[in-house]
Amino acid sequence: MIGVPAGERGQGVPRVEMQFDLPHRQHEPRGELGVRYRIEGCEGETIRAVEHSVLWYTEGKGEEDLGVHFFQRIADRGLLPPTATSGAFSTPLPQSPLSYEGVIVKVRWCVRVRIFFEGGRDFVSEHVFTLGRIPPGRPPGPQPAAEVRR
Amino acid sequence: MRLPRFFAKKRGHRQTGSREWGVVGDGLFHGTLLAAGLFFGGLLVTGVAAPEWRINHEFRPARGTILAKGLARTTVADPPAAVITNWRPCLLVRYEAQGRLQEAWSQGSAVENTPDREVARRRLDAWALGAEIPCWYDPASPRTVVLRRGYNWWLWLLSLLLPGALVLIGGSGLVRGLRSWGKSEERLAASAGLGELLDPLAQPALAAPGFPAVPTWDDLVNSPGTILRHRLPIESPENWTLVGFGLFALLWNAVVVVLAVGAGLDLLGGRIDWWLFALLVPFLAVGIGGVVLFVRSLVLATAIGPTQLEISDHPLLPGGRYEVLLAQGGTGTFQSLELTLELEEQATFRQGTDTRTEHLVVRRHPVAGFRDVAAPPHSRFEARTVVEIPPDAMHSFTSAHNAVRWRLVVRGTAQKWPAFSRVFPVVVFPPAGEMAPACPAGVAAGERTVAEGSVP
Amino acid sequence: MTNPFATRFTRPGVLASRDAGGEPVDVDGMLRRFDGLGGAAVIVGPHGSGKSTLLAHLAAAIERRGGPVARHRVRGWRDVPPLWGTLWRTPPGGVLCVDSWECLRPPARVLVRLAARLRGCRLLVTAHQPVGVPVLARCRPSLPLLHALVAELLGRAEACGGAEAVERAAIGPADIAAAFRNHGGDLRESLYELYDRFEASGQGPGVGGPVLTGMTIVPAAGGKFTNTTPVFLPQAHQTAS
Repeated sequence: MIGVPAGERGQGVPRVEMQFDLPHRQHEPRGELGVRYRIEGCEGETIRAVEHSVLWYTEGKGEEDLGVHFFQRIADRGLLPPTATSGAFSTPLPQSPLSYEGVIVKVRWCVRVRIFFEGGRDFVSEHVFTLGRIPPGRPPGPQPAAEVRR
Repeated sequence: MRLPRFFAKKRGHRQTGSREWGVVGDGLFHGTLLAAGLFFGGLLVTGVAAPEWRINHEFRPARGTILAKGLARTTVADPPAAVITNWRPCLLVRYEAQGRLQEAWSQGSAVENTPDREVARRRLDAWALGAEIPCWYDPASPRTVVLRRGYNWWLWLLSLLLPGALVLIGGSGLVRGLRSWGKSEERLAASAGLGELLDPLAQPALAAPGFPAVPTWDDLVNSPGTILRHRLPIESPENWTLVGFGLFALLWNAVVVVLAVGAGLDLLGGRIDWWLFALLVPFLAVGIGGVVLFVRSLVLATAIGPTQLEISDHPLLPGGRYEVLLAQGGTGTFQSLELTLELEEQATFRQGTDTRTEHLVVRRHPVAGFRDVAAPPHSRFEARTVVEIPPDAMHSFTSAHNAVRWRLVVRGTAQKWPAFSRVFPVVVFPPAGEMAPACPAGVAAGERTVAEGSVP
Repeated sequence: MTNPFATRFTRPGVLASRDAGGEPVDVDGMLRRFDGLGGAAVIVGPHGSGKSTLLAHLAAAIERRGGPVARHRVRGWRDVPPLWGTLWRTPPGGVLCVDSWECLRPPARVLVRLAARLRGCRLLVTAHQPVGVPVLARCRPSLPLLHALVAELLGRAEACGGAEAVERAAIGPADIAAAFRNHGGDLRESLYELYDRFEASGQGPGVGGPVLTGMTIVPAAGGKFTNTTPVFLPQAHQTAS
């Protein structure tokens, strides 16, 4: 595995396989987001809770900001691995902010699944999707002049 | 509920600190502040505010006769060795309280105290022996009588200010600590609500209701236009530069005047303070420079004249077309005036001692351009045009450290003056937004209506 | 398009701490030296030389070792009261890590040091100049260091599905050297310039290239997700059939 400190390799790294209901992970504002996921690689570990969240965050040259749209915490043992290794949830999506691929500011939407283990460890799995159809922003090149009046 | 372990992990003889106990420590700290605020606030309220309130609400009026005049002395120890004596004028008053005649010395508030005995004695001259005066007595203790009512607002403010600050800081920290107990980053962000009220410094600009991360537009539509519906406010550094130069010139030259007066008085008195003169020279140079900069900025601002922009509707929607009125004042001829619609990204990053903010224009759409513009005498140049918001436009976005902003920018070049630009921010909503207000029947969208009977 | 030079991937604690030669810093060895220096030590270096990053790694290493750590970033005199609060919350025997120590006035520094000593805490701070405490490390920006950081960032981006974008961007030694030269050795500003170059390479046909669509964020600081030093692993995703 890339970048995992040697001392940690014995503990294993969980994996979260996620499936979105819509192709290409392309969603529309006020549409419905539905995901199904499967947790793997947690054999021998005791999971005490799993959190689902749908949020947007910024990326670029500024500090990261984030806004959580949907949050859910699962602590019922019957709904957690090893009893249940998969899960699903859905939420209606808001009208804003839309996904935006700017130059120094990008707005991204993602689904996060955070797994809490006994003993205090936790892992986050993040899966990006697109909300809206805003084209990327780019610095303007030479522009045609506006109609000039005298 | 299980108490958290003091140490979360144990590896041999080494142990890690527990985040939960850190939160407990934080809670104790803020709890102490909260308790101190409540305690001192309680002391001040019961010692100052409550008695004043009782005097104004529960004391009963009576007519009193002045029998004698005197000075009440209060002595306060001022460590380490001094003693402060305060004097307060007081009157022996006879009055009827609850059917019985009473004779008692009047009570007063702390503001009536003065350390100067003579001042206190002169205040007594305002009353004459035997005169009848209004007074108020305490029905619970009829021998307690006062001659004045009212509120000392500054005393109330002081009573509440410091304890209030302690209560606010302690209370908000306590609530924040309790809310963050054992919670992940997403859970904390998802549950922000009351926290926003208690921690306003951490929150970004207000969002439009129903549209997260889209800024509100109230400040942009609270000024009606003369022809079109809204007059857009200007966001221009020029005005702030002018104010800044003006304040600097004023304050600096005030200091220069003080120094100059001092040096002048010394000179008239036959003394020359060389240090003062040495200090005065550079101060005067900077002061003159400040005045020159201010005057130059002022001439620039007035010569170019104000720029106004009115728009037929706001907020804007992608794909929408909006009428815009551009009005430019000033004397002389403008070689060019251009109106553009721009999309600007803004990103702020704090690292170490630096706060770095970067701006980048990522879209620029020319709207209208004019050459050789001359404003009529005693009037202004006006032009109407239409601005189209691109159908694929990203909506306005704002968060704590990042923003995507739309704006209309007027750029001009005037004869004999430097080029200028004036920025008018606008808000563009997401495509699914339905915020366009309905127009009254029979009125073209964007036109102002004149109520019957009003003067246009 | 995920830009590997975004602040998300370059903020203190995310990139490995490296010396002027570009080699990873021996964090454990540095901690042993810190233990021998007494109650306080400073990491010295100019703007954008990696002080905050090294401080973040040392703090994480202290936590892995089992010691309590508190972190505080100072920006000005207004941070003095919160700093007192952070010091108060640091348990005896713990380490208080303060970024930008020189933003405090000398009297405040003396008071905080005294309070830390009375509380039984140690101080590990960063500053642009030596500030009257023993120097633990001097961060010196260098071109090999910048090369190593860029290689780490681009390698991570490639591993997470951005190989095509990385290849298209073609950030090469000349770009890195130019960025380093343009900003007088300020690594942070150099990375900002490389961010701009990477973005500029994305213009033209096919703009809006692949976005990092799935990843696992693995804490590298003992298994607890502390938002520092995360390691990004590629994550396969499936779309609905």
